[in-house]
Amino acid sequence: MIRRALAAARTWLAPWAEARRHRLEAFGAIVQLTRPRALVFVDRDRARALGLDGGATWAGPAPGVDDAPLAAPLEAHLQLTNRCAAGCAGCYTGASAAAGPGEWGLAEWRRALDALADAGVFHVALGGGESATLPWLGALVDHARARGLIPNLTTSGLAGLDRLLPIADRFGQINVSIDGLGPTYAAVRGFDGFARADAAVRALRGVTPHVGINVVVTRANFAELPALFAYARRRRLAEVELLRWKPSGRGAAVYERLRCTDAHHRALLPTVLAAARKARIRVKLDCSYTPMIAHHDPGPQLLAQLAVYGCAGGDFLIGAKPTGAITACSFAAPPPPDGDRRPRVDDLAGYWRRPDAFGRFRTWRAAAEPCASCAYLTQCRGGCRVVSAHAGDLGAPDPECPRVVDHRRDVAFGNEGRRVGRRLPVV
Amino acid sequence: MTRRGRILATKWGLNPNSSSLGVDVTFLLVGATAVAMATPIVGALLRWRRPAAAPAVESAAPPAPSEPAEPR
Repeated sequence: MIRRALAAARTWLAPWAEARRHRLEAFGAIVQLTRPRALVFVDRDRARALGLDGGATWAGPAPGVDDAPLAAPLEAHLQLTNRCAAGCAGCYTGASAAAGPGEWGLAEWRRALDALADAGVFHVALGGGESATLPWLGALVDHARARGLIPNLTTSGLAGLDRLLPIADRFGQINVSIDGLGPTYAAVRGFDGFARADAAVRALRGVTPHVGINVVVTRANFAELPALFAYARRRRLAEVELLRWKPSGRGAAVYERLRCTDAHHRALLPTVLAAARKARIRVKLDCSYTPMIAHHDPGPQLLAQLAVYGCAGGDFLIGAKPTGAITACSFAAPPPPDGDRRPRVDDLAGYWRRPDAFGRFRTWRAAAEPCASCAYLTQCRGGCRVVSAHAGDLGAPDPECPRVVDHRRDVAFGNEGRRVGRRLPVV
Repeated sequence: MTRRGRILATKWGLNPNSSSLGVDVTFLLVGATAVAMATPIVGALLRWRRPAAAPAVESAAPPAPSEPAEPR
């Protein structure tokens, strides 16, 4: 019995004693912790204190974290397939029951993982389409682990569960897309799939504790957010991740009908923090919500410490289409062809360093007003480029940012570094 | 004397979402003071772990673009 207890203790403690991976950066280094799960940005002195030697990477004066793009992305979002039979009304990839032309298979994605690992990427987020239906998903996940990458997955839970359950414990985190409870699910997605998605949540939770839900926030489900947090608590889930509706794929056609209102955006952060506190569950907001966080003026320094960033496409993250084409983020179009083909994710090392890489995703420092004078520009980076592109100009300020809305109405907005009284529900 | 240096940022958790970068904002519930108090704990955890055999990558960052590129 004592031997069993000691073995259990060793198993529990093992991740705490795991070796830390790191990546050198011009400002210092990024160090990965596996428990607690975190990427820690340290300056050169702290990196030296940890025994790291920057060599040529640290030649010259140390820049700030945001003075230039990172040495490589932190994570890559791989759309393994565009095949999905669910037919959601607002699918941002426009997925269909048939796979798209030229989709990569296991060998090509393995090569992509090799390129990402060689570049120093820490995490990959696998999605689709519905990647859970791919017969080679387990082999790909094993390859990611073997190369030191942590694989994570988003699934609809509507298909491929029989394939996914036996390999679920190999993922760092799996989130099931649930945009509403019962009828609200149908209001957002166009069909009632809640029962099947809920069954997937319960089955996955039986295999691994690292299960959460992704919720695309719309005007149809905004009022239901506290109930969704309570649902996540009942299912003993690890987190709720809230995503802004993006005008991409089939989502563009129903964008005006389903996107949140300005009032929703201003109320989002207090609403979700109160719901998270009540349900005692962790909450994540996607990068496109950073303008709505900044609206509550938590302080640029605090957001920097928590690595809260707006558009980090082509810097902290990259995307890859099912054909392997590299993109700044999953919603962005691939770069123009370079010779006879577009740059691919396995070309990352070469493409990353090009001065024109990722186009206007990397030119946020030249932002127009009201972003130029915003105290949060470095964190927010102008908001979501995809929403700006939908409004007509990819490089323009996010038109749904409360500060931009006020600027256009000629209403004074006070987050130029001074407090404006929109305090958060701090406990 | 060796300077201890600073922890500049901590990005918590893993992001399973393949369409955007999810950030854990739960810390906003407890405010800047709690975040500042957590930083020494993160520092201790960093020191406790031994380094991996080889760094993931040793390369300089690309230059920051100075001229806006053409929209796509």
